[in-house]
Amino acid sequence: MLLEQQADRPASESMPASLWLHLRYCPYCSRYAKQTMLIAEWARASAARQTSTGPALSDAAKARMRERLAAG
Amino acid sequence: MTPSTSVPAQWPDRYGDELYRFALSRVSDSDVAEELVQEAFLSALDGLATFRAEASERTWLFVILRRKIIDYYRRQARATHVGLDEISAEGPTEADFFVPKNGHWTSQQAPTSWLNADAALEQQELHDILQRCQKRLPAQQGAVFALRFIEELSAEEICQELGLSSANYWIIVHRAKLQLRRCLEKHGLGKD
Repeated sequence: MLLEQQADRPASESMPASLWLHLRYCPYCSRYAKQTMLIAEWARASAARQTSTGPALSDAAKARMRERLAAG
Repeated sequence: MTPSTSVPAQWPDRYGDELYRFALSRVSDSDVAEELVQEAFLSALDGLATFRAEASERTWLFVILRRKIIDYYRRQARATHVGLDEISAEGPTEADFFVPKNGHWTSQQAPTSWLNADAALEQQELHDILQRCQKRLPAQQGAVFALRFIEELSAEEICQELGLSSANYWIIVHRAKLQLRRCLEKHGLGKD
């Protein structure tokens, strides 16, 4: 959880010494710290990718929406 | 564009595809995405008189849709309770990943090296797997994860939207990421 909190802080804020020390001597935690950042980065990239390449709204749905909007 | 030139009946043809893709990238369900776009159009129609053309009509519609998406996440998250007991009941907990007596990673769950991680971002397969893994998260974890890492709301905003305490928020973020990491590895990430 400390890692998540650290990732949420501004980049200018330095890492608490205790966390830095822990990561230095816990290779799994250090690996997890990198992976947790990657997951967030991938989730953003994945949403952006789908926004630009995803399927279009069907003609039937557009027609339904036009009708609803026209009915006011 | 000014309010007088706005023609709501043209919105579906003019902006429908873009708005739908945006919604679908957030909710991964075509029916829900369609419904959110329609709700956004109808809310925009209701608020047409207040549209001041300070932003473009397209930007204005995106702002309304984004609000609808956040409301959708909130409904999803609030469909489950938010107490710590309920969070524990929603999927795996720290006890599934760490040895209780010393807090070390269990041998089964210790993070493996993601050797192919850099190249993975370019692969459509990663995006498909990530979306599937996100869909498998318990509703509350899925909502918190999406609001933080896709909508990029602050922790404070998310706690306010979902009625969470700060302590519960961090637990939920932590568990969502633990589960996503495990799900990605189960689907082959990190293997040669």
